[in-house]
Amino acid sequence: MPILKNIAAIAKGMSITFMEMFQPTTVENYPDGPGPLRGAKFQERYRGVHVLQRDENGLEKCVACFLCAANCPANCIYIEAAENTAENRISGAERYAKVYNIDYNRCIFCGYCVEACPTDAITHGHGFEIATFNATNLIYRKEQLLAARPAHLGANPVFNSAEVAGGAPAEVAPGE
Amino acid sequence: MADAPKLVNITVDGKPVAAPAGTLLIEACKTVGIEVPSFCYYPNLSLQGACRMCLVRVEKMPKLQTACTTGITEGMVVVTDSDEIRQARKSMVEMLLGNHPLDCPVCDAGGECELQDMTFSYGAAESKFIELKQHRDEQQWSPVVYFDRPRCILCYRCVRVCGEGMDVWALGVDNRGAVSTIVPNKQDHLECEECGMCIDICPVGALTSGAYRYKTRPWEMKHVGTTCTHCADGCKTTLGVRRSDTGMEIVRGDNRDKSGINGDFLCIKGRYAFDFANNEDRLTQPLIRKGGRLVPATWEEAFEFVGRRFKEVLDREGGRAIGVIGSTRTTNEENYLLQKFARVALGTNNIDHHRTADFPAFAAALHGKSGATASMRDVYNASAILLIGNDPTEEHPLLAWQIRNNVRLHNARLYVVNSRPIKLRRQAASFTQVTSETDFTEFLGGDESLASFATREGWNAVRDKLRAEQGLVIIFGSEIFGEDIQALARFAASVPGAKLLCLGDYANSRGAADMGLYPDLLPGYFPVSGAGKFHQEWKITPAAPGMNIGQMFEATKTGQLKALYVIGANPVGRLNVNPSTLKNTFVVVQDMFLTETAALADVVLPAANAYEKAGTFTNTCGDIQILKKAGEVTTAKPDFEMIVRIADAIGFDVRKLVPFGHGVHADMGQSRGAQSGEADQHAVWLEANGLEPKMSPFDPVATLDEIQRLVPGYDVSRTELLAGNDQHTSIAAMGPGTVQNPELIVPAKNNLFSSGTLGRYSRTLNSVIENKDPEPADAVPTD
Repeated sequence: MPILKNIAAIAKGMSITFMEMFQPTTVENYPDGPGPLRGAKFQERYRGVHVLQRDENGLEKCVACFLCAANCPANCIYIEAAENTAENRISGAERYAKVYNIDYNRCIFCGYCVEACPTDAITHGHGFEIATFNATNLIYRKEQLLAARPAHLGANPVFNSAEVAGGAPAEVAPGE
Repeated sequence: MADAPKLVNITVDGKPVAAPAGTLLIEACKTVGIEVPSFCYYPNLSLQGACRMCLVRVEKMPKLQTACTTGITEGMVVVTDSDEIRQARKSMVEMLLGNHPLDCPVCDAGGECELQDMTFSYGAAESKFIELKQHRDEQQWSPVVYFDRPRCILCYRCVRVCGEGMDVWALGVDNRGAVSTIVPNKQDHLECEECGMCIDICPVGALTSGAYRYKTRPWEMKHVGTTCTHCADGCKTTLGVRRSDTGMEIVRGDNRDKSGINGDFLCIKGRYAFDFANNEDRLTQPLIRKGGRLVPATWEEAFEFVGRRFKEVLDREGGRAIGVIGSTRTTNEENYLLQKFARVALGTNNIDHHRTADFPAFAAALHGKSGATASMRDVYNASAILLIGNDPTEEHPLLAWQIRNNVRLHNARLYVVNSRPIKLRRQAASFTQVTSETDFTEFLGGDESLASFATREGWNAVRDKLRAEQGLVIIFGSEIFGEDIQALARFAASVPGAKLLCLGDYANSRGAADMGLYPDLLPGYFPVSGAGKFHQEWKITPAAPGMNIGQMFEATKTGQLKALYVIGANPVGRLNVNPSTLKNTFVVVQDMFLTETAALADVVLPAANAYEKAGTFTNTCGDIQILKKAGEVTTAKPDFEMIVRIADAIGFDVRKLVPFGHGVHADMGQSRGAQSGEADQHAVWLEANGLEPKMSPFDPVATLDEIQRLVPGYDVSRTELLAGNDQHTSIAAMGPGTVQNPELIVPAKNNLFSSGTLGRYSRTLNSVIENKDPEPADAVPTD
């Protein structure tokens, strides 16, 4: 009986439809979702706004080797290097980036800078909400790109003095 | 030496190679484009055989041979590339990297490191070594030299260049074998000439420069090859520039392509003393004196004010009440323009500069004698050199380098005649200490039977030896002037092939003289009183000689001189002019800094320096070279533009000053005939030389066109000039010069660490300890 066969086929098909109807929704509810990302979800590998990482001592990983800038096909990275001193230690090596700007007007998020970085200092974060009405806002300075300072490092005097020089409010570290 | 050496035939990788006998295998390979890698081998330094990178297989020899120490022999068959050789090189690189830190990202040499290149070309991707690397802290040996011991690969290039090349011997090797280390001469620091040759020659980042340290990376800079602005030797220096808030900042000086007359060489001034340009004391705006104080003003205000005041003096008393003092550090074009401005726009011959050598007498002595002047390259190739007076090691570092290496590599004979025991006597075949260089010169050029010279022991012997020399170059300092130059030229004429070289002190001292910054001489040493092509071209040249620099300051005192226009000179600071003499004179100064002279001025205009403009310099030998704009400070203007702007503000037609635009170009000199004398001579010349008219009154090349057209001896190839090559100008074709006023010659007395007024503003020059405690020449050991 072909009609019974047809009914069975439709019932089978519709059963999936009805089953899914009671499953939770998989559509991302951006921007009305919960959490800081407001419902947006990312793959780990997503290439968003860059983050300049810090090492385990809270010092900047970037040693201003300029390889990211050299590798950048859009020529959007601008660096000025300076030398670390005992009083003003910013990075773990001899040199640090005094100025580190990325021009997001030009950046194509290709990730070559991340590939080039010998110290894993520059990484792609998941930031993507950078649209603005003013193009000059798209030039991000080092202060905007740097990873947040780890909470446990408040007591490190070296780190504190570096932060003071970097423009953070002065705070007297214990033991100094 | 005269015969060409015999050619030896060898085979390299199947290619036949013919090279002169005695050529090293590594050099012979280079001639057919086969690169044999090496660290320790460096052309013109002694052989070391330390790095073993240059191993090649020579047929019938049991082991691999070092190409850098093997001379070629007839029939040699060489293989430079095989599995065996590749494996050997790979092992060598692996050994070197055994303790070499992999800190390329922070190393200043990263990007131009020979070890990095070799590792990429010949090295292995990974190392078999698992041992921990031995770390040593970086040492600072001087304000300009840093040493990072783990990075050192012990090629000993620095030790050899310091000793053999510079004759300083400040670096040595301590210990033996794997624990060898390069050490400075004073335990923990260096006391030397601070030339930075060791840093330049270091194939890795073991020796790095304090001036450039951690500032940027090689590929981030734009490299501009220009001419050094310090002493009169005219070294080519390549400046690395980066953009900055105020234009382009110079971050590094070196001679990376080694293409200039200086080859490998640069002294501390050429390498590090560009930093005056970034000095915080640099003037950033025009200043006008109001109510006794210099207050900032706009450029328009300043030019208008200067023009109005000059015009007032001109209308009231004429050009003779205005004096002009030129510079020894401005370009030929600016000097030419300045004297033309004085003579044509102001109608005065009151123009002079700080004279450091008697070039007019030199021109007089060599008038019409072609081929009688030596170029800087001749000094390196001459078979014999006579050096009278001066201390080139301190005052002319490149000249000293050329002499030293000529003696070392070509066995040239050096005869030194000096009143002081100068350091170059260590290279001399004969050193004659005299009480006065003048006496010796008179002896050379005079009559040997004169009784006054009979007692001078050994002078005759020296003269006889000099007479027997072929291709002698006679170099003399500012001790010799006036009639004595004539005497020397007479002596030179008696020696076949002898050439003369007159030593001035500043970067463009010779150019200032050649361009006629003299009250009695026009460009090319033509007298102002005679009639000539300058009188025809410029129409209104005043025929009476003007005031010289001494007379000008006398005249300011008496009130005869109402206005003084000073460009890039500091007569108050350098020539001991009493400041009170300038009280009632309207003084305009163009300079980079508020010098003693500028501080007394009524108007100060911030000028660009020689690294910040285009033009040409003539070194003391008469070699003309191009300047290219490297740095830029947006708040300064080049002197060329300022002179034109002031001429314009006076109300003078700048077309008569700078030959720009098309002129009577519709005519092209054809309708009336180029010979008729009524055509636009400049346009005819441009057409004949295949050059375009320049379109801007601020284009110094327009003035270069006029210099090349009108100044004999400067008609050198424009192509060569633009290519950055040095060319020797001929003084023989120039005017008759003059022999007078030697009292106006004031030697700059600069040493390696000073550079007139400019040197005071260089942080590097002032930071080296040698500057504060100069080693007297007689403390140098002789051995």
